[in-house]
Order: sequence, then C-alpha cells, then structure tokens
Amino acid sequence: MNVAVPLDTAARVSPLKAVYAHMDCLMTGIADLKKAGFTDIMVMTPMPRHEVEEAVYEGEPSPVRWFTLCGAIFGLTMVFSLMSLTSANWPMILPGGKPVVSIPPFIPISFEGMVLWASLFTLIGLLVNCRLPATDLPEEACDPRFSGDCFGIVLERVGAHDAAAIRHILEHSGAIEVSGGVGAGESAPAAHGGHHA
Amino acid sequence: MKELTYQDVNKDVLRPLFTPDYAYLGVLTLTLIVLGLGGLCWVYQLIYGLGVAGYHPPVYWGVYITTFVFWVGIGHAGTLISAVLFLTRSRWRTGVYRAAEAMTIFAVMTAALFPAIHVGRAWYAYWLFPYPNQRQLWQNFKSPLMWDVFAVSTYFTVSTIFFAIGLIPDIASVRDSTTGFTKKLYSAMALGWRGTDRQWHHYMAAYGFFAALATPLVLSVHSVVSWDFAMADTPGWHSTIFPPYFVAGAIFSGCAMVITLMLPLSLLFKLENYIHVWHFEHLAKLCVFTGGILTYAYGTEYYIAWYSDNQYEWGTFMDRVHGSYWWVFYTMVFCNCTAPLVWWFKKMRTNYISLFVVSLIINVGMWFERFNIIASSLAHSFDPAGWVYYYPTWVEGGILIMSFAWFFLWFLLFVKIMPSVAIAEVKEAMRPPLKFEPEHAAK
Repeated sequence: MNVAVPLDTAARVSPLKAVYAHMDCLMTGIADLKKAGFTDIMVMTPMPRHEVEEAVYEGEPSPVRWFTLCGAIFGLTMVFSLMSLTSANWPMILPGGKPVVSIPPFIPISFEGMVLWASLFTLIGLLVNCRLPATDLPEEACDPRFSGDCFGIVLERVGAHDAAAIRHILEHSGAIEVSGGVGAGESAPAAHGGHHA
Repeated sequence: MKELTYQDVNKDVLRPLFTPDYAYLGVLTLTLIVLGLGGLCWVYQLIYGLGVAGYHPPVYWGVYITTFVFWVGIGHAGTLISAVLFLTRSRWRTGVYRAAEAMTIFAVMTAALFPAIHVGRAWYAYWLFPYPNQRQLWQNFKSPLMWDVFAVSTYFTVSTIFFAIGLIPDIASVRDSTTGFTKKLYSAMALGWRGTDRQWHHYMAAYGFFAALATPLVLSVHSVVSWDFAMADTPGWHSTIFPPYFVAGAIFSGCAMVITLMLPLSLLFKLENYIHVWHFEHLAKLCVFTGGILTYAYGTEYYIAWYSDNQYEWGTFMDRVHGSYWWVFYTMVFCNCTAPLVWWFKKMRTNYISLFVVSLIINVGMWFERFNIIASSLAHSFDPAGWVYYYPTWVEGGILIMSFAWFFLWFLLFVKIMPSVAIAEVKEAMRPPLKFEPEHAAK
C-alpha cells in the first residue's frame, strides 16, 4: 500500500460506484478488480448477462435448485398422503372392484401436487436467495440508469487505503463515471494489488 | 432502420403505459357494457336456476363446459411460448411471450368461471376443493373431474408465479421512469429489484426451474381435461387419442388467439420493432403444424369408430356428419382443417389481414370443435329413446359473450399497466454496446 491518508479517514469505509456504458468495459472492470484482489463487488445490469454471472460466480450453481427438489418431494408426499388417508377414512363398499388406495388414478393429482409445491418452494428459494424484497441495498446500487442503458459496479465497503487503487482500476477500465469512496481526491492513484476493505 | 439501443427499448415499451386515448377508453367502455349485460344473464340464472339453460335430458353438459374447455385451451399457448420455447432457446419468443403469458392467465381466469356457472349454485363451488369439514366427507380423488380441479388450479398458480416473476425486472424499469405515487406503487411491486449480479444469478436459476416445471403442465392440463370425457364410456368420448388430440387443439387455438390479440396490439401501440411479422409467421407455422395434427386426429377418430365395429361409436360419429349437428361438424372442419391451409403459403403467413382473419376463424372453429364433441355425443348416446336436440338459450349465449368481455377486460387493463413486451429479455437478445470491436477487445 503506497498511499498516505489521515488516520481518521483511514478508519472509515464507504461505498464506491462505477457506471459503464459498454459491456466490454464492464467486463474489464470486473476482471481487473478481481485480479487486484477486490472480489466483494456488486455488478448491476439491466438484463441477465451470462458473462457477468460467469465472471462473478465462476460456475457456482444457485442453491435455488434444492428448494425445487424439496418442494417436489414434499408436494408428492403430501398430496399422495392426502388422497390415500382420506380414501381410507371413507372406504367405499364396492369401489368397482378396485382397491381403496389405488395407484393409477392417484397419479394425475400426485403429479400436479408435485409441480405445484415445487413451484411454490422455488418461489421461496428465489425470494430468500435474491433477498427480496431488497431493502438493504446501498444507495449507489439504486441508480435508475441500471434498469435503462448502463451497467454498474458497486463496492459497498471501501477503505481509504484502497479507494484510490479501486478508482484507478475503474477509471482505466472505461467507466463513464466513478463516484464515492472515502478520501476521494485526497490520494494519488495506487498500483493494482491492494487489499479489499 | 437504425439499430435499437437499450434506451429505445425502455422508451418504446413504456410509452403506451398510463395514457389511455379515446379509442382505448371506447373499447374499454364497450367491454364493460358487454360484461355487465352478460353478468345480468348469470344473475338471471342464479335467481331462476339452471332450468333457464337449454339442458335437455340426457344433455347436461352444453355451452358452459364447451366454453370452459375452449378457454383452458386458449390458455395453453402462453405457457408453451414462455416455458417450452425458453427451454429450447427459441429466439422468436422474446417479443411475444409477455402478452402471451398474460393471455394464458386471463384465459384460465375466464375458464375458472365456468365450473361455478355450470354447477348452478355457484356459492357452493368451494366444495370442489378438499378441506376438513364437519360432514367428514372428502372428494373422490379417483374421478377425472377432481383431477381437473387440481390440474387447472395448479396450472393457474404456476403460470401466475411464472408471469409475476418475469415481470419483476420490467416493473423496476417502470419504477425508474415514473414519479410520485406511480413510482411508489411500482417500487412496492418491484420488490427492490436493482439487477444486481446476486439477483440475476438466482433469478435465472429459478426462472429455468419454473420453465421446466411449467412445460409438463402444458401437456398435462389438457390431457386431464380430455380425460373428463375419455374416462366415460359415452360414444364419441371413450378414446385413447384424446390427450394428444386435445393438447394439439389447445396449442392450435392458443396460438391463433395470440395472433388475434397481438396483431392489433403491435400496430396500435407501435411495437412493430419488437413484435413484427417474423413472430406472427412463426405462430402461423405452429398453427399449421398443430392444425395438421388435429386434422389427423379427426380422421383417426372416424377410422377407430369404423374399425372397432362398435355400432354405438360409429352411430355417434355418423350422426355428427349427417345428424342434427351436421352444421357444427362442417363449421369445425372448415375452420380447423381447411382455413389454416392458406398459411402454407409464405405470402399469406406474412400478410396481416390473412393472419388476423384466419386466426379468428380458428378461434370460432375450436369453440365448435368442443361443442361437437360434448353436445353431439350426449345428444346421440346409446339409447335412441334418449336422442335429443340440445340448443343453447339466450342465457347461455349471454354468458358465453360475457366470458369474452371478461377476458378482454383483463387484457385491456394489462396493456395499460404492465409492459406488454419483456424489456429485459429484449435487451438480452440484443447485441450489447461495445467500446471496442471484439478483435480489438480480445487483444
């Protein structure tokens, strides 16, 4: 770290935001930040982009799939049990020679129950993992341009020691605007390779 | 034509929102009047009972069940386009799937009215659902009618979730382009969506699962609806080809309804850049394909009836051609088998007038197909002493028209309060803005 900042400033952290108009610049910014060791980044895009997902999550699958699986198992079990237990509770005297708990006619509703509960659990998985409703996002992430025609990178907690280095990376990657960060304007650009706040 | 930018997409898709013109208000008023008049027919039936319908023993399934099956069928194209074409990565779904999904939901909402209308005492419709009760009675889960309750309610729930989830990023776009109370309203509906990498990562995973879950529903729901008939031993119904035959018919009618709705939508709201003739051509091809399956199924039904050497089966099928309902049969054949043949020609598939007119004809034909299956079989069953001629009364006609007004009312409201085209997906399909050409960027 080659930047000197006052002690009171050095202890503080603040968010830093970069706005991009071009996809390739955004990808450069993400790659350079990660190369420099700043991995705790938030990337905003107006649409899903697989290259961004790949760059940030590096192939890590979403845990939503486990919610779907649990929902499917729960739904199948619950609906089949409902039909079996209620049929057993009210046994017809002559059900056409068929068993009271008969598998083939229970298949359609079991299937529907499985799909229904898998969907409901997937919805819960989505809300939990996306943290929706999102009320705790930093103000920097709430730029209306990110649902329009711009991309963004936000680093939520940037210390004064790293601010200059991060600003330098973002500006050099092609950001059209870089704002925020403690000690902005007080420090000279630092070399890549700082530590994440 | 200049290349579209992301900002153009926001501007074009959000432009029609919130500002109704006189034409829109006129259509909305007309829809409300028709809905009100049709609603009065239902009220009349609620007061005087099902006797005001044209039921005549043994025909107790008529216009209401026909219309129920018709609307469930219409509801198939939306999920087919949004889920199946999402999984197969068909690019042409992008422009049309949002409105098609909305159509699905409104069609199922319309269909859901009919079991309540059909049972007469609509206030007891909740008896269809299993719940603990003091009579300790439970539904017969071995009945296809119960399968249908679960199939349609599951389809509606899953389609609604799928639709609502797909809307979230676009509602965020609406939020960011509005002010005041509208902004607050859309902020609440957007659930704080900001398009962060975390949100998109889990969103896309969940969206894929919703698509995978909705896809078998497209096939299962109308299969289950077909079992309402095929499980009974009534001549003309008791057939193993019913599930694929019904599913093909549902997709056929649903795609036709998408064309009927989206052609005026794209022209009136100036969305031709997003919903263009290319989309309609694909829909027309899908109609030609499913219409071919349907025509084959009609032929197969007759072949099976003849080859089975079952006099009741063959008698019913012959009665459809030569009996009292001959005009229903020939309307069905003309609308579903003959009229769509014009779409074998590219010129006709890319002509707006041909697309609109033939899609309307298909919708008429698909209603008559269900009427042909339901009414003609019941009216000409095993016992010649029970052969009757069922015809709908003005009450049934009024309720049928009411269903269209109900459906169009929801669709009219939808196009003014929600983006009719999926903004985020259109942007995803576009070439992203690059500062450097790919070769340069690679260096």
